Amino acid sequence: MATRGKADIIERGKPEFRALWRRRLSHLAYTFRGAPKFSLFFLTLTIICAITAPLLPFDPVRGDLSNPLQPPAWGSHPLGTDHQGRDMVVRLIHGANISVTVGFLAVFVSGAAGTLIAVLSGVFKGWVDGLLMQLTDAFMALPFLMVAVAVVSLLGPSKTNVILVLGLLRWMSYARILRSEVLSVTETDYVRLARVAGASNWRIILRHVLPNLSNTLLIISTLELGTVIIFESALSFLGLGVPRPLPSWGTMLADSQSYIYNQWWLPVLPGVAISLLVMSTNLTGDWLRERVDPTRRQL
Amino acid sequence: MKGYTIRRLGRGLITVWLVTLAVFFLLRFTGNPIDYLANPSITVDDRERMKREFGLDQPWHIQYLLFNKGIFTGNFGVSVRWSGNEAFDVFKSRVMATVQLVGVALAFSMTLGLLLGVISAAYPDSPLDRIGKLVAITGQAMPAFWLGLLFILLFSIWLGWLPSAGGLDRVGWKGIIMPSVSLGWFLVAANMRLARSSMLEVMDSEYIKMLRAKGLPRRIIIWKHALRNASLPVITLFGVNLALLVGGALVTEQIFAWPGIGLLLVDAILARDYAVVQTVVFFSAIVIVLTNIIIDLACAWLDPRVRLA
Repeated sequence: MATRGKADIIERGKPEFRALWRRRLSHLAYTFRGAPKFSLFFLTLTIICAITAPLLPFDPVRGDLSNPLQPPAWGSHPLGTDHQGRDMVVRLIHGANISVTVGFLAVFVSGAAGTLIAVLSGVFKGWVDGLLMQLTDAFMALPFLMVAVAVVSLLGPSKTNVILVLGLLRWMSYARILRSEVLSVTETDYVRLARVAGASNWRIILRHVLPNLSNTLLIISTLELGTVIIFESALSFLGLGVPRPLPSWGTMLADSQSYIYNQWWLPVLPGVAISLLVMSTNLTGDWLRERVDPTRRQL
Repeated sequence: MKGYTIRRLGRGLITVWLVTLAVFFLLRFTGNPIDYLANPSITVDDRERMKREFGLDQPWHIQYLLFNKGIFTGNFGVSVRWSGNEAFDVFKSRVMATVQLVGVALAFSMTLGLLLGVISAAYPDSPLDRIGKLVAITGQAMPAFWLGLLFILLFSIWLGWLPSAGGLDRVGWKGIIMPSVSLGWFLVAANMRLARSSMLEVMDSEYIKMLRAKGLPRRIIIWKHALRNASLPVITLFGVNLALLVGGALVTEQIFAWPGIGLLLVDAILARDYAVVQTVVFFSAIVIVLTNIIIDLACAWLDPRVRLA
């Protein structure tokens, strides 16, 4: 804690102490000015659910077969139960875990791959650049979901495979946008000077190029996170994502199709969860983008 | 222009080749259709005979060469899953349904997206602008398949207005409303944002100020002069939109039991029906790559900066 010293000197309960905390709070409020409060709240809630889900003493897989298809009601099942008598609240909380882990890890994989390709083609230029951009164009022209469906079903549905496929099929926007950033950074005077001073390519990449990419990387990642979460649920919906009996929100929607006529809460609730999460990441991302870089508001 | 065209066509060809190559080998890495579909009790001899029948006993590189030969001779192999029909015939019997679905979704999403985008840029804070913003936020957040489920719940089950399953030939024009709207919804949002930002830019430009100074009515400035330039980026994105819709059709067709190639592809993949999967992916890739090439060429023709870059 960087500010601990000050708080220790000023004694608790004194007016200075309160003034210090008021200042800290107002500074915090300033940091979060114009933030989408609901989105931040829901995002935090989902992440907390995702982290605590494995620690909770409720099993999302084993149900109570004597108690299937209960409608939402106050009592033991506030959001009802599914066709195997599994509690929807527990299933939704565990679904948050899947969506969040798959979302963040896939974005991490694609961000890493995209950055690598952007840096390689931006720093080495020449035929490396030509080849890599050709590859990027080729990947961009793919019907993404079609290829993802084909690849996941071939590798076999599992959480790891979903993360890998989503990660390795969605690096193109990073590569494209970051490459132009890399090109502009390598043309700056300080990089040229570093080169004159004898810095190697790797030193330039690590010291000068990568730190300059962080803002753009953050911006694209927040844009991608929502998309990746939707694609995970779409794959799971097709039965090609996170395999049963794990409660992915997409799987829950797929299972709900047979009960759509009488049990409205089964098709509605997981979809609400997906939409709220994606909406929250998008709006939070919009806000971050404006905070980080006002000139990119239209991106 | 000629050089650019040739370069662009070459790149398109490479893309198609990469796609078919990847799908070809991935399919074979993970099993073969006989093991999936044949009765487990048949003898090993029968199994080998069936493999021979479908050309699956050859080494992979021979199969790949045969596949490439098939592309030029129009012979895409025989489907295992659809009882020995030509894969191309199976594909042909299903492709129209997807063309209809994607076509309607594309037209719907582009017109509505453009309209809402222009309105929200030209008349900020009007009720229509508010609706547009709502569409943009929900469209980006709601997965198409969930929207489809909600439509079924609302319009088929509770209100009973629209049929929930089947293609045009079975349920008529009413059947295409829900699939195409739920498929195109997220693109309405994307197109709207794009149209809005480009409209804002256009409205700020010199020639619009000039028209205003001349005293033209606002209505004519917006709908006649500004709209033309503002719609360019939306049209440029046509190719990307098409790719997204063809992909999205996979899931939408699943929900509405729409008898198109999306449903066909999922069935074929699950049965490891090599011939059908290869045919579907090959033609989808060709259509998407061709569309992108045509759009790029049109842009290059309109704007010399592109072709000289």
